[in-house]
Amino acid sequence: MAAGLGAGGLYAVIGVCLVLMATLTRVVNFSQVAVGVYAAFLAIRFVPLGVPQWGIVIIALIVGATVSALLGWIIATWLPEATATARSALTVAGLLFFLSVSYLQFGTRPQPLIPLVSGPLVSFGVVTITKLSVALIVLAIVLAIAAKLVLTKTPIGVQLRAISDRQTAAELLGINVKVLQVGAWGFTGAAMALAISFAGNSQAANAGVMVNLIIPGAAAALIGAFKRMDRAIVGGVALGGIQGLLTAIPAINLLRDWIPILIIVIFLLWSQRKEVWDVAR
Amino acid sequence: MSLVNRSSRTRRVGLPFLIGLIALVVAVGLGFGLPAYTVFISTTVLVSMVALLGLGVVTGTAGMISLMQLTFAAVAAWVAEFLAIRTPLGTMFGSFSFIVIMLISALAAAVLGLLVGLPALRLRGVNLAVVTLGVAAAADATFQKISFPDSWTNVRMPRPFDFATDPAGDRSFFIFTAVITILICLGVYFLQNSRWGSSWKSVAFSERGTASAGTSVRWAKLTAFSVSAFIGGISGVLLVAQISKVNYITFLPISSLALYVLSIVAGAHLIDMALFGGILFVLVPEILKQFKVPLEWGNIVFAILGVQALTTNTNLGEIARTALFRRRRKRLGLGIVEKNLRPLGSGELIPIPVGTGRTLLAVTDLGVSFGAITALQGVSLEVTEGSILGLIGPNGAGKSTFVDALTGFLPQHTGAFVLDGTPLQGMLVHERAQLGLRRTYQQDRVPPTLTVGAFVDFVTVGKADSAGIDEVLEFFGCPTASTPISVVDVGTRRLIEVAANVAARPRLLVLDEPAAGLSHEEHIEFGQRLRLVPDKYGVTIIIIEHDLDLVRSVCSTITVLNFGEVLASGQQDDVLSNPRVLKAYMGETEML
Repeated sequence: MAAGLGAGGLYAVIGVCLVLMATLTRVVNFSQVAVGVYAAFLAIRFVPLGVPQWGIVIIALIVGATVSALLGWIIATWLPEATATARSALTVAGLLFFLSVSYLQFGTRPQPLIPLVSGPLVSFGVVTITKLSVALIVLAIVLAIAAKLVLTKTPIGVQLRAISDRQTAAELLGINVKVLQVGAWGFTGAAMALAISFAGNSQAANAGVMVNLIIPGAAAALIGAFKRMDRAIVGGVALGGIQGLLTAIPAINLLRDWIPILIIVIFLLWSQRKEVWDVAR
Repeated sequence: MSLVNRSSRTRRVGLPFLIGLIALVVAVGLGFGLPAYTVFISTTVLVSMVALLGLGVVTGTAGMISLMQLTFAAVAAWVAEFLAIRTPLGTMFGSFSFIVIMLISALAAAVLGLLVGLPALRLRGVNLAVVTLGVAAAADATFQKISFPDSWTNVRMPRPFDFATDPAGDRSFFIFTAVITILICLGVYFLQNSRWGSSWKSVAFSERGTASAGTSVRWAKLTAFSVSAFIGGISGVLLVAQISKVNYITFLPISSLALYVLSIVAGAHLIDMALFGGILFVLVPEILKQFKVPLEWGNIVFAILGVQALTTNTNLGEIARTALFRRRRKRLGLGIVEKNLRPLGSGELIPIPVGTGRTLLAVTDLGVSFGAITALQGVSLEVTEGSILGLIGPNGAGKSTFVDALTGFLPQHTGAFVLDGTPLQGMLVHERAQLGLRRTYQQDRVPPTLTVGAFVDFVTVGKADSAGIDEVLEFFGCPTASTPISVVDVGTRRLIEVAANVAARPRLLVLDEPAAGLSHEEHIEFGQRLRLVPDKYGVTIIIIEHDLDLVRSVCSTITVLNFGEVLASGQQDDVLSNPRVLKAYMGETEML
């Protein structure tokens, strides 16, 4: 169980980022993790040049924010009034793009991305809680609280909420929708780059495997119904915990890969009790 | 807007078969004329084309995001290998075993599609994308662990009719693949022009519109997704027979992503464009290989093309077709098609229908609230069979809420509707529509991807034959059945919607502001026709209308709503002269 907490923390961060994107920019951002992975992998190219670790992280943050903002700019410029489906479809193209660029630049071999923090924090007998899992969960909570504070207490937050509710109305009020949306994209891109840098390459994987993290992340976000960050955090941590528990049982090795998708499906079945329509009237 | 896949109805059925035959001749020629390696690559092009055709049904026609097309291929390939290598089915039917296995395997993929689609399709499109991506990743991990049956025993997947895997066998297999591909093209073509196809196009445009036309939204999406999975499965079996040994790398999720993006770029619901997409999908990596450029560049190119296609909301196929179509219409001197409501022949005034005296719809104590806001309260009324009831009231009075509750969009309402003795409680929107309760919308809910005739056919669910459809279109002054809706102006589209729903011959039809977008003269002509509808088509009507002239000219009885309650109800003259109605409608000053 404890082994899964690290993964769960990462799922929680991804979930929070996805919820933020969905509420602020009406997008299910499939390229979320791909952007973070690309940024972190690009940043470690600078390790041989003698850049210290904090410098690497800053590079990752800048790259993540920049490429994410670029994608956001494309969507805000050309698809301002499009449906959430059309906007999300564009991030699928983004996912394909960043995944391919990652393969091209870094090859398909696992990358030597070292976690920022490592080692045990506390041990209770056989159960060890690592610093990394705590750090990731704290990161998710800090992100969620910071986002909540900004959204509810600052003038920018009011504008952001106005945009997410009624984009055209907000635009008519003179709010610079594009800058704010691109800003939101940049912020989650940086957050994702930070999370990936934190987590490191715990799964000893290449970009392709890392990018699959979007699926448990989406499961976490879905538990928050793409609206509630707190539930996304709980969902992400619980999902990681369940997966950790199941690792202990080798007999159901095959099932382990299906856990996130099963949770997504069960959640959809539960949430579909009421009929939902494409438009209000 | 798509100008393509114009149905059917007026086109000759033979043409697709002729094209298929020509394609077959070309395929045989290519199969024996091209160099061996080119034939092998061309087979891959056809296999990719089949996968894209399947994807086109979901992404292009039904407008959903599916990111697991190669997972369907992988599942079918796995099942096919298992059946061919590990079970007696591999030889049971002699040379035709392969075809039996192919169909069973594709059905297995379709069942998987059903299982994935059932939970995902209830909600909006993005959910399907999340679920399909998740299933693709999970299946990928599973295939890595269990591997394909050909690697368990090192027995290769046999080809159909014992075609060898040498160049000579490759040629025969290419022709076999071409035959299957042509059959699938024909199947997709006729499906798209069938009522299923109309339901897919309709659901991509408006879910509410689809449900009110009597088709379950979930059914439309599920059929699209399962058909897509089935065709994806066929492509998987063809692929495994072509290369005879596969592993998980053959079906990587990233390739499914690329395939999805490509289907958007090309417009894979168009058959020629699926072929073009298949060529791109195979040729781009092949060219890169020749020039020793890393293959990832191929996906990068697809991604950039995808961004371009998505941001402009077009695809190559539609751009080409729209240009050709415009040019042809311009050459013929055709522009936007408009309605043509000519005065009816007789010229005499048709009396307002008063009905049979029997109650068709009884509404008792209807209440609807949204949170703290009460939209409707204690509304009771009766509609006489064969009459036209006017439902009027100021903006915000609850008229449209009444229609939504009646037609099943607001199941949380209180009170009861009874239609011709049947309580509507608990019935879904499409079930009420099938029972004979139809409505039209204030908004444009007519899918521009259909022709006028295909739309009417879809809405009537087979209740009107070709002649019947032409008759009702003529009666309402609508464009002819073969006209694509995309060249019809919005006011006329609403008239087509009315005509289609009359042609469906429901017991009760609710028209929500049908005359918006008509000129004054057209109002009068429209009213003339409405008065004929109850007798001519056996349809009772509730009409919501702001234009009191129209209401006066067609309604025998009128119900006035104000602030969610019934203000007055009864015979036209009594209601319209009621001082309380005048006050609510005109305001105090008008009374002076």
